[in-house]
Amino acid sequence: MPRPSSPAAMTAALAEHAYLADRGLSTAMFLALSLGRPLLLEGEAGVGKTEVAKALAAALGVELIRLQCYEGIDAGQALYEWDYARQLLHIRALSERAAADEAAVDELFGPRFLVERPLLRALRAGGGAVLLIDEIDRADDEFEAFLLEVLSDFQVTVPELGTIAAASPPAVVLTSNRTRDLHDALKRRCLYHWIDYPGLEREVEIVAARAPDVPAALARQVAAAVARLRGLDLAKRPGVAETIDWARAVALLGADGLDPEVAVDTLGSVVKDHDDVEVVRARLGEVVGGRT
Amino acid sequence: MAAPEPPGADLVAALVGFGQALRREGLAVGSGQIVTYAQALADLDVSDAEDLYWGGRACLVSDRADVAAYDRAFQRWLGGGPGGQLKVSGAVPRRQPTLTLEPPAATTPGPPGRPERPRGSLASHAEVLRHRHFAECSPDELEALRLLMARLHLQPPLRRSRRLAPSTRGRHLDLRRSLRASLRTHGELLRPARRTRRLRPRRVVLVLDVSGSMRGCSRALLQFAHTAVSRRPSRSGVAPAPATEVFCFGTRLTRITPELARRRPDQALARAAEAVVDWEGGTRIGDSLGELVRVWGRRGLVRGAVVVICSDGLERGDPAVLATEAARLARLAHRIVWVNPLKADPRYQPLARGMAAALPFVDVFLSGHDLSSLESLADLLPTLR
Repeated sequence: MPRPSSPAAMTAALAEHAYLADRGLSTAMFLALSLGRPLLLEGEAGVGKTEVAKALAAALGVELIRLQCYEGIDAGQALYEWDYARQLLHIRALSERAAADEAAVDELFGPRFLVERPLLRALRAGGGAVLLIDEIDRADDEFEAFLLEVLSDFQVTVPELGTIAAASPPAVVLTSNRTRDLHDALKRRCLYHWIDYPGLEREVEIVAARAPDVPAALARQVAAAVARLRGLDLAKRPGVAETIDWARAVALLGADGLDPEVAVDTLGSVVKDHDDVEVVRARLGEVVGGRT
Repeated sequence: MAAPEPPGADLVAALVGFGQALRREGLAVGSGQIVTYAQALADLDVSDAEDLYWGGRACLVSDRADVAAYDRAFQRWLGGGPGGQLKVSGAVPRRQPTLTLEPPAATTPGPPGRPERPRGSLASHAEVLRHRHFAECSPDELEALRLLMARLHLQPPLRRSRRLAPSTRGRHLDLRRSLRASLRTHGELLRPARRTRRLRPRRVVLVLDVSGSMRGCSRALLQFAHTAVSRRPSRSGVAPAPATEVFCFGTRLTRITPELARRRPDQALARAAEAVVDWEGGTRIGDSLGELVRVWGRRGLVRGAVVVICSDGLERGDPAVLATEAARLARLAHRIVWVNPLKADPRYQPLARGMAAALPFVDVFLSGHDLSSLESLADLLPTLR
């Protein structure tokens, strides 16, 4: 599928895959594609940072390659690794047959023994993939520096194989939960967008798009209740993902509307902190019905 | 890099002007970013204000905190232009912190009946300055203290990180190095190389009380915080320490790490003083700690960190709130150290309702009224395993 030609086309393409993006997000996504720059997405948990990358891959009709970051992740886990166990066995076999010639040694560091990790796969796929680097803030500074190098040139050098460069840069989406400040150099390399909680109308549309079997009236009630929940002083405010979960949970129970009883039974799908549950229970009538 | 269609000279001049306006608002916008914006505009509709706005936001802003400044500069830039007073539909208004700020007038400047400062109870003549109560220091003495503080090395305790590093011993086999080494011996694996989990210092989070009752100590503690932020001693064989974070609170919490992260101390302190809005107001420790956990803790800033709270514990809010929030903080942080200047008085007992409420969740309770007590804090830190 061709790349969208304007922000509006991007919005439409994402909407086809049940992702409703606002003007700012689609402009940022559109520019990331047309300028060949990575896009750094930040926002509260559960606002759809990861989802938008999935929707983009689906909209472009390409593979989504996901690199989940964690503390201590290094090039071996992100880029490539040799299959050492098989290499050792292979060396063993060669020496027993006394067959170790030039070609056999070349083969030892050839594609057969190379384990491709997400970054290398994305470089190879080039424009035919969306690379999602999820929760970059969980990785440490060393990995961030390494990543900067890859994202600047979209090429890496594997000593045994030579330089591997992407024919065209893949679309890259980075997400961060802001557990720490990212390095300025990386931020400058990227386009940036902060995804905010959607407004009420938008959230109702999102629930309708993501959970089509939820009745419209219920979706509206749930979205309104979640909006009021976000106004409370909670330790963990519910994201859009929670709204969708809650709407689904209530619909599954066969309730035609959200009332305090149903809300208590399904509260676990939207409020996920023990202290918060108590706060919400105490003001459930207000949250559900909008009464004070 | 050149844009596919070079934009007109007018546009370039306008963009450069916009860049300058942004810099005046305090955004660090590089020429590279302006070039990116220019390229972006070649793909967008320049006559559409929304395209201009969102395109610029994606290219020129790289932190949510900068959005407000961007909005101001954008308004001014386009305000006189063809768009007139521009109203962008999706522009996000700057979110106010959940805690509302009470006007300083509404709170009493200092709690009545606060205990008398322990004057002269610590008379040591050999190192007068070292044992001089912060509140009794003259500006010159504070300056001298700063130099002494600069020698303090905060060495946070270490934790085992998940990152593996080559090592002579260790549980993890390093196949890559083993194999490379075996090539030297014709593929015979003589000595397997190993890797071990690397050590990394924990983060230190300083939380300073700048309310009225701490008036005497605030400046000295701020100097101490500046030293902690700007000097991070490196240790061999250990990963670099994560940046020390500093927060101030009276009635509400302010993060002043970026302000303190300047080399020149007078500049750093002046900027920090500007950032804090409630100098010498009342004290709401519970609410402030709650905000620390909610806004910063959930993001991971506090998780596994050593939290050092410098406060006299004279809570004006509800002590029950303080107890709840301290408990929450204790679950998130590695250790909580409470530095209380009032503790310098040997007769002091943590009976103030706030202090008594928080104490069960505090791992170490120290005094923090003079340099020597801060030195003992520095000595204590590495031992908080």
